Order: sequence, then structure tokens, then C-alpha cells
Amino acid sequence: MLKLLDYIKKDEKFSKNLKIIIFSVVIFFACDTFLGYFLTKGLEKYYGLNTSSEVALVGHSHLMLGIDKSMLEKGLNKSVAKYTREGVNVSDRKIMVKQLLQHNPNLKTVIYGMDAWSFTGEGLSDNSYKLFYPFLEDNNVDTYVNNQADFSDYWVHKIIKTSRFNEGLINSSIRGYLDNWSNLKIGEVDTLQLKKEIALGRYRKIDNSVENVAILKETLAELESHNIEIILLYIPTIDLLNGAEKNKFKESISIIENLSKEFKNVKFISLLEPWSHDHSLFFDQIHLNPKGQKVITEELIKKLNLKK
Amino acid sequence: MLFNSWEFIGFFSIVFLVYFSLPYIRRTLFILIASYVFYMAWKWEFAFLMLGVSYVNYYAGKKISQTDVKRKKQFWLVVALLLSLSPLIYFKYANFIIDNYLVLINTLGGKSTFTFLNVILPAGISFFTFQSLSYSIDVYYKKTTVENNFVNFAAFIAFFPQLVAGPIERSSHLLSQFKEKHQFKSEWFVEGAKLFIWGLFKKVVIADRLSLYVDDIYGNPESHTGATLTVATVFFAIQIYCDFSGYSDMAIGSARILGFKLMQNFNLPYLAVSISDFWKKWHISLSTWFADYLYIPMGGNRVKYLRWVFNIFVVFILSGFWHGAEWTFIVWGGLHALFYLLENWGDKLLYYFSMDKIKKYKTYKLFKIVMVFLLVCFAWIFFRANSISDAFLISIKIATDWNAIIYQGSSTVTFVLSILLILFLLVVQLLQYFKIASLYFSKPKTSPAFQFMWYILLLLGITLLGISSNAFIYFQF
Repeated sequence: MLKLLDYIKKDEKFSKNLKIIIFSVVIFFACDTFLGYFLTKGLEKYYGLNTSSEVALVGHSHLMLGIDKSMLEKGLNKSVAKYTREGVNVSDRKIMVKQLLQHNPNLKTVIYGMDAWSFTGEGLSDNSYKLFYPFLEDNNVDTYVNNQADFSDYWVHKIIKTSRFNEGLINSSIRGYLDNWSNLKIGEVDTLQLKKEIALGRYRKIDNSVENVAILKETLAELESHNIEIILLYIPTIDLLNGAEKNKFKESISIIENLSKEFKNVKFISLLEPWSHDHSLFFDQIHLNPKGQKVITEELIKKLNLKK
Repeated sequence: MLFNSWEFIGFFSIVFLVYFSLPYIRRTLFILIASYVFYMAWKWEFAFLMLGVSYVNYYAGKKISQTDVKRKKQFWLVVALLLSLSPLIYFKYANFIIDNYLVLINTLGGKSTFTFLNVILPAGISFFTFQSLSYSIDVYYKKTTVENNFVNFAAFIAFFPQLVAGPIERSSHLLSQFKEKHQFKSEWFVEGAKLFIWGLFKKVVIADRLSLYVDDIYGNPESHTGATLTVATVFFAIQIYCDFSGYSDMAIGSARILGFKLMQNFNLPYLAVSISDFWKKWHISLSTWFADYLYIPMGGNRVKYLRWVFNIFVVFILSGFWHGAEWTFIVWGGLHALFYLLENWGDKLLYYFSMDKIKKYKTYKLFKIVMVFLLVCFAWIFFRANSISDAFLISIKIATDWNAIIYQGSSTVTFVLSILLILFLLVVQLLQYFKIASLYFSKPKTSPAFQFMWYILLLLGITLLGISSNAFIYFQF
């Protein structure tokens, strides 16, 4: 080390370069903090966190593409937080619910997206905890991520705020500022190709896990303890896929029905019939296209207004 | 240990501090140990292979220099060649040879009991083998002095910044630097850090992002339109450039921080005005290696015409084969040989018809830059495709499928961002071409304030948009 210090003393440009490096680090972290804050706020707007929304949608891409937030707000005459994220499993949604309970004081109703694969562990996504990096300042999220991420991964994202984002999240953040919540996938499912895939067994298999059912029960219990009304909503999945594993499919529906009976505040709304048979509503086997989104949102509004 | 990992940052920080704290006499040994620690972080067993190849060439070099008898010199050179190339052939090419042997036997109606070998390719074997051989060959031709200190020599072969992905250094350039008394200079630190940051940006922001789309499309080319395949091919051209040159920049930048100067490996190859110009700018350390140790000893262009054509094909095909043990790489090399020759004939025709003056016009240069890029992209199809049949399918679809629908991948946002990043890269390359922005270690013409903000922006770009190896993966689209 003495030798290194000796070089430093002899280096005429050291002082100047050191100041540049220190100044660079300071400016970098200042920009990082500002950008991180700006993007996080946009993301909160996009997902409806820290808002006065009375209704919240919680789910993955299935619900994201299934319901039009703006249409739902007009239909119910209530503000809606659309907290839906691609690839979130029941554990992730438990954290999402905790965030909503902590940051949305006016929350009265949670519409929780369900499908026959909700209790299946594999095949939805990998490393889904990374979706929550932008919200590391939230204690619940911080604990959740810390338990899943490895040491260096966690601390890098904890310290460098811009590392919590990617272009998808940046896009969502900007759309939050622009009040743009449309989620659309244009096109119609290729049923011939889908039949071939199903015949070859190339689809995600239903594998109901007791652990995942338990996690959902914990989520429902927590919501109920806050007197939140919960609607377990089944946005239609295409009948061709539903029929691929008839017994397992029935088992999944049965679990959801039982959960709705177990909890006072929980109601189950299934929009499977007759919509799962109308293939023109589907972009792929589980996601709706714009036509499907419109039809299903209208149907949901009717059912929710009837229940009042 | 990848350069784009926190493990490497931690490792390098320790190496840097210890290196400049040690007395000069201990530094080369320390670099040698650090390089082996770096290499062994992946698979420790292969360190013995590298040590073996290093010792073979070190010993052969000594033996070659100790005798004036040509036959003895040749003997030791052949020993070095055989013992150095044997592991490379075994690990990299044995299964390719067995596979093709089995195909041949089956075609002839025979049967064979040969089975494939269960081998893992040692990281960097192609690089350190060629680097070692260049030393023995240079000693043989008296282009370099013999190294009598094994620690120096082993450190030259194993030097971690350039060990796994080049540049392939020459002993006359790098080995002598291990004997220099490097002092820490903050100027070198800043120079090296800047180049490292730019290389990291190219790798994790551009290359790794483009690879998501390319892997998807090239994974099932039969499902995509000609337009999509064209886009994927152009994306791959940029991906491989950013990946390879990015890694080279990180290697050169790291070495610079330690006071070493590695050779430039890429010099704006996609702004080349001819195929021969492209090969003076792309993977320079490899192309010069093949030129100096294969092309010139074969006679270069100082032979009869047909022999020269043969030389060109041999050099390019072997260069292709060096990249991988697949027929696709061989065809890739062969295509470049063909383009090189066609260009040569084209130049001859221009001269014959007294039209070679058009080469002075900027429009012609621009036309050539575009043509070279398109030809190189076409060859990349074969480099990237999973098989020869896939490569032909892709080529035919690009030429005949006029369906303009372009698949945008699982995310339109990522697709649009990929295009913007390519345009950004083009702008930077043009600025480098006109010497406004820095290339390698050249001084930029921009103000210090602008340079300062530029590197801050690059760092923010890396943190915001860098692709991680264990990223969130969504399966549902």
C-alpha cells in the first residue's frame, strides 16, 4: 500500500482525476436517486398505488388483458387501481395486496384474478420477485425480495435505484404519468394450431399445490381482516384448453368455489360461460383480445352493479 | 467469471490494489496467480491444461533458440504445434470429426461403434493455444527473443483480461510489458475505466438485448416471415459486434488500468469499404494471426494465381472453423473467401475498363460500405443458424418471402428500444469515424464537461437497461 501511495504522490494528475472520479460518483448517485424516484412515482400511478381508489384489480397478464380499467371506472363510477403484472404468482400477489392495504386507504373491494392454473407452481415465470425491485422502499416488499434474492443481487438493487427498472417498467412508469392504462394484444387465436399443440401435450399443465392454496387463503384472510370485499374473478380461458385436463380443471374450479364459501367477504364470479366458447374473443389460449376485453368488462360491470 | 459481473469487479479491485502495492519483482508472479484464480473460478481442472500448453511452448521456444541446426529447430516447432493443437482438436473438434465420420460410414452403408465424447470445451482454449503458438513460431523465425523466465511466459499466456476472449496478443507486444516497471497512473485508470464502461454498455445493453430477439427467431425460422428473418439477421450482426467488441473493450480497459496496453481488436468494421478492409477491422488479432502464421507461410499472394485462390479459401475456411466445430462456420468462412475473390475480380474489371477512378467518389464509398455490410450480414446467417439447412431456409425466405409483417417479439417496447439502440450505436460509430468521439485510446474532440456527462449517461444506461443473466423470465407469451 505504501508503494501505491508513493505512486499517487508522484502522479501529477492524480488530484485532478480523483476529483473527477469522486464528482462522477456523486453525480451518478444523484441522477440515480432522482431517476429512481421519478420512475417509481410513475409506476405507482400506473398501478394505482398511493391513490384514493376504492377498487383494485390484482392479478397477472390474464387479468391485465381481460379488463379495461377506464371502462370499469365509468361503469362502476368508482376509481380503480389496476395492479396487474405479468407472471405474478400467488406469493407475489400476497405482497401486492399488502402494498395496496398499506398505501390505498380508501380501498373497499379487491377483484382478484383467478384461473385454473392459479395454484400451479411451475410454468408461469421465473424470478418474479424481481418485478418488485422498484418498490424496495416498502418494508413488506423489502422483506419479500430479501428472502428470495441472493446477497449481491439484493444489495445492488437496494443501492443503485435505476437498476430496479427495465424498459417494460420504464414504459409503464411513463404511461402512469400519461394516464394511459390500455393493455391490448391485437389478433385472434389460431385454433387449428392450438388444437395441434394440445394434442401434442404442449400446454401448461394444471398442478394444484396445497401450499399455493394456503397462500391464497392467507391473502383472503388478511383482506377480510381489513373488511375488504373480495371478488375472485375468472376471466374466461378458451374452452379448448379448459377441456384438455377436464378433471383437473374441475378440481381448480372446485377449490375456488370452496374458498368463496369459506370466507364471508369473498364472492366468486366466473365469466367462463358462455364466453370461453367464443374464440373470436381470444388473442391466445388464456388472454383476451380488445374485443374480448370489451365484452368481458361490460359483463363484469353488469354483474357488479347487480350485486349492489 | 464474466467481466459483466460483480464478482469480477470485486476480484479486479483486489488485483488492482495488491498489484500496485507489491514491489516490481513480485508483480508478474502475482498477475500469474491472479490469472489462474480467475480461470479456475470456472473449472479448476482446465488450469492444468493451460499450464501444460504454456510449458510446452516455453520449453520449445528455449530449445529452438538453443540450436542453429534447422532440423532441430523444426523438430521442436513441430513438437510445440502438435502438443498445443492436440488438446484443442480433442476438446473442440473431436465430436465434429466423429459425427462426420459416422455420417460417412452410414452413407456408405457401413456400421460403426464410435460414440461421441463427453467433453466440455475449456474456456478460452482457442485463444491461449493460438497465443502460445505465436510465440514458438516467432522464436523459430527469430521475430522475437526467447523468454527464459517461465513465470513471465506463463503470465503472458494466462493474463486474465485477454484470456477467454482475446485480443490474441503477440509476445513481442505483450510479453515485454511484464518486464516493465508499471507505475500507477490515474490517467491510465481513467482511460481504462472509460473504455471498460463503453464495452460494458455495448455488451449488456445492446448485445444481450438483441440476443433475446435473435435467439427467438433463429430458434424456429420456419415460423417467421422473410422480413422478420432479415431484421433478426441485422440484429445478429449488431449483436455479435457489440458482444465481441464490447468484451474486447472491457479486456483492453482492465489491462490499461493495470498499466498494460493490449492491441486494438475492432476498428469500426461495419464502416469498411471492402471485404479486405472489413478483415483489417474485425477481430484484428485473429485475422493478423492467420495472415502472419498461415497465409504468408503458404506464400500469400506471391504465388501462382490458382494457388493464391487456394490460399485464400484455406485461410478463410480455417478461420471459420476456428470459431466453432460446425459446418455452418466452415461455410461462413468459405463465403468470406468467395466475397474476397469476387471483390478482387471486380476491382480488376474496374481497372481493365479504366473505371477505377470512381473509387475516389464518396457515393461509391458509401455504396461499398452498404454492400459490404449486406454481404457480411448474409454470411452471418450461416454463422448464427443452428444448422446448414436452417441457414439455407433463412436465406431462401429472406430472398423470396415478401410478406412485410415483422414479428416484434414478446415485447414491442423491447423491439423499438433495440432499433433505437442500433441507431444510437451508428451515430457513435460515425462520431468515432470522424474522430470526434474516442476510439480505442484516441483523444476525443468533445469538451471535458461533455465527456463527463457522456460517461454518466452510459453508466445510467447500464443500470437502467442492462440485461442480467438471471433476469425475470415470463413464459406465457
